[in-house]
Amino acid sequence: MFDKSEMDQVILATGGYDHTIKLWHTHSGICYRTMQHAESQVNALEITPDKQLLAAASYQHIYMYDLNSNNSNPIVNYDGITKNVTDVGFEVDGRWMYSGGEDCRVRLWDLKSKGTQCPKIFEVQAPVTCVCLHPNQVELFVGDQSGIIYRWDLKTDHNEQLIPESDAMILDIAIDPLGTHMAAVNNKGRCYIWSLKSGQIDEPTKMNPKHKFDAHKRHALKCEFSPDSRYLVTTSADQTAKIWNTSDFSLRQELKQENQRWVWDAAFSSDSQYVFTASSDYTAKIWNIEKGTMEKEYAGHQKAVTALAFRDCAV
Amino acid sequence: MALYDNKYWLLSHIRNSFISTDDTGMCELIMTGEEGVRKHLKQSLDSYPDDEDSEDEDDLSHESYDLQLDTDFPLRYRSNTAVRLEKLEQVKKRTGRIKHIKWETNKNELSEEQIDQLFVKKEPKVIEPKQSLFSKTFKEHKMMPINPYMDYAKFDGSGQVNLQVKKYRIFLTMLPEHQRNYPLAVCCTSSAKIQELIGLILLKCSTMYEDYPWKPVNNYGLYITEEDGEVDRDFPNLDPRENIAKFGFACLGLVEHSDPSKCVSFGNSETVTIRKFDYNDKKGKDSSKQDQEKQITTDLHLMDVHKKAMEAPLYKSFKVYMINKMRAKVEIHLGISGEKIEIDPVQKNSKFVLVKQKPINHDMDMIAWCEPIETTKSNKMTFKIIYSHSFANAENVSSPTLQSSASFKSYEFEADQSIAEEIVNKINLILDLRSSDTRKEYLAAQERKYYKKKALI
Repeated sequence: MFDKSEMDQVILATGGYDHTIKLWHTHSGICYRTMQHAESQVNALEITPDKQLLAAASYQHIYMYDLNSNNSNPIVNYDGITKNVTDVGFEVDGRWMYSGGEDCRVRLWDLKSKGTQCPKIFEVQAPVTCVCLHPNQVELFVGDQSGIIYRWDLKTDHNEQLIPESDAMILDIAIDPLGTHMAAVNNKGRCYIWSLKSGQIDEPTKMNPKHKFDAHKRHALKCEFSPDSRYLVTTSADQTAKIWNTSDFSLRQELKQENQRWVWDAAFSSDSQYVFTASSDYTAKIWNIEKGTMEKEYAGHQKAVTALAFRDCAV
Repeated sequence: MALYDNKYWLLSHIRNSFISTDDTGMCELIMTGEEGVRKHLKQSLDSYPDDEDSEDEDDLSHESYDLQLDTDFPLRYRSNTAVRLEKLEQVKKRTGRIKHIKWETNKNELSEEQIDQLFVKKEPKVIEPKQSLFSKTFKEHKMMPINPYMDYAKFDGSGQVNLQVKKYRIFLTMLPEHQRNYPLAVCCTSSAKIQELIGLILLKCSTMYEDYPWKPVNNYGLYITEEDGEVDRDFPNLDPRENIAKFGFACLGLVEHSDPSKCVSFGNSETVTIRKFDYNDKKGKDSSKQDQEKQITTDLHLMDVHKKAMEAPLYKSFKVYMINKMRAKVEIHLGISGEKIEIDPVQKNSKFVLVKQKPINHDMDMIAWCEPIETTKSNKMTFKIIYSHSFANAENVSSPTLQSSASFKSYEFEADQSIAEEIVNKINLILDLRSSDTRKEYLAAQERKYYKKKALI
């Protein structure tokens, strides 16, 4: 057993269709806390950069849970959104939170100032499926169901559109920590890669199409770059998650297990050696990337696990 | 007719509503004291501005037929309204602790300064590859044995909203005194079976009390327990194969069975500890370690034999399978004491039990012999008990010993090897002690058979 300060630093949270959010001891697979998320399923989870709060994207709300107490109910309720919130995330210094939802809007929520006025809103034509913050913290990349990717410049409010493929929904966008590559996956299982070139001071990031490949046979649900930018993980409805080398986008590992059903979400450990996945077989799993083996299962949910959030700590 | 703009009627309606929804009866008590005020009100407020219908006047004076003012506190059922109000109150309390932030569209354009404050451009940094705390601890714990009760995690019902769950307070009787003062709160999905609930409890226990040597699930039984943690030992443990929804008890005691096959038994751990102490003392005196160990094992063995012989006539119940003539197995409780052997079928609710076994009692004097037959591959052992058929069936025979030729019959049973051996041993010890006529006759008969066979050869 760890002492508390140590334990606090590695956080794994999972949530899904059973209206609960569970926190896990990552090394033993024991669930040490269950939080109620009574009103809806959990669409997305994110931990604040200071590891104090956990945000859960739900139907019409974003709930914030206190990670350092035993309160099983949320402590903050972000209200006034119609329809599902599909994605949520934070600015690196915790100044603001962004969310995207099926009401075709991307919102920025002020976290620091006392007033509740929220600085920005961005409207698109179709339900927003994913929002990704560029590591430079001033550009948001938004994907929607009509297949458009928007680059929204937060400083100037300018936006730019990309349509990689018509008649396909963009389901997730990821940018690697160095800000050199962007990946997007769609409901046809295809993965698109752009190389990004950062602009000087206030100049926008330039995107150049680099590569496209069929990552999965069915919906690709999530994509994520590893912290060392060497790998890209994609998860899919075809019951697998795949690890790709970012050098040439060749397949590195297929993470597959009998009856694991849809794989919804994934997160890397900070040393890029392990990857967590959340799947419809009611469990989260940890995989060794080198060997491609499943190392542990986190069982306890009563229904599909569709979202996970993980914060590691460097030693 | 009473209308909603009739002030008197409204007042009276409100009063009635108060009285009918107040479960404490306090409203009523206060209102009886207001009789004077009421009369005054009646006078001042014209109860019926239109005096056309005079029948209602009577109604009003009665207020309501179904409400009687009582001066003592009546015990009332909680009204639906009260329950609903309480629920609303709880929700309000809960949400009261939640900070609500409502989306408001920002009317004012953000100033340059605000934009610069909020949106600070960062240069993506090359992250030096460092070891992650997760990987480090994960690798360290990789060699740790996996919690054997992990599979039961899926029965955890805590935090579930749309799923039926049952909450229990479990008293852990095996823990040292100072640790078992408070029951363990366990929330289990209603679909689980008792043994799965036990597994879930053990999963929780094993993480909370890591030092205690937890055993496999079938070593434990759940017993009905008082609120103060006293296990009710008059009842057997809850059938591990039954669904938990069948039992309504919220307070249960987890008891460690000294032998998983026994159904009614509470560990004799005390004697064991005493013995341990004895040998610890001896250890100090003896010089040679090997001798000492030999001594201990032989002593232990002697003690064991002695103990078994002493305990043989004591009643003990075993769960075994009875094999009938059709070679079908029926689960039964085999109760053995110095006086008699009882065969009791395990109660099953199913109406479609193919083979039924009636409960049977045999006086120990009717039992002639007990021996193992064979050990199967799956570590099971069959054994038989031979009894005198004529004696058993002729209870009204005045002196069974006069029966000249007793015919012998046998029962066959199957059980785990260790249990079977214990049973055979126990019965033979009892038979040796009693040396009944039946036994003598059986032995004589066997001997005769033996000689006959020999003569034939």
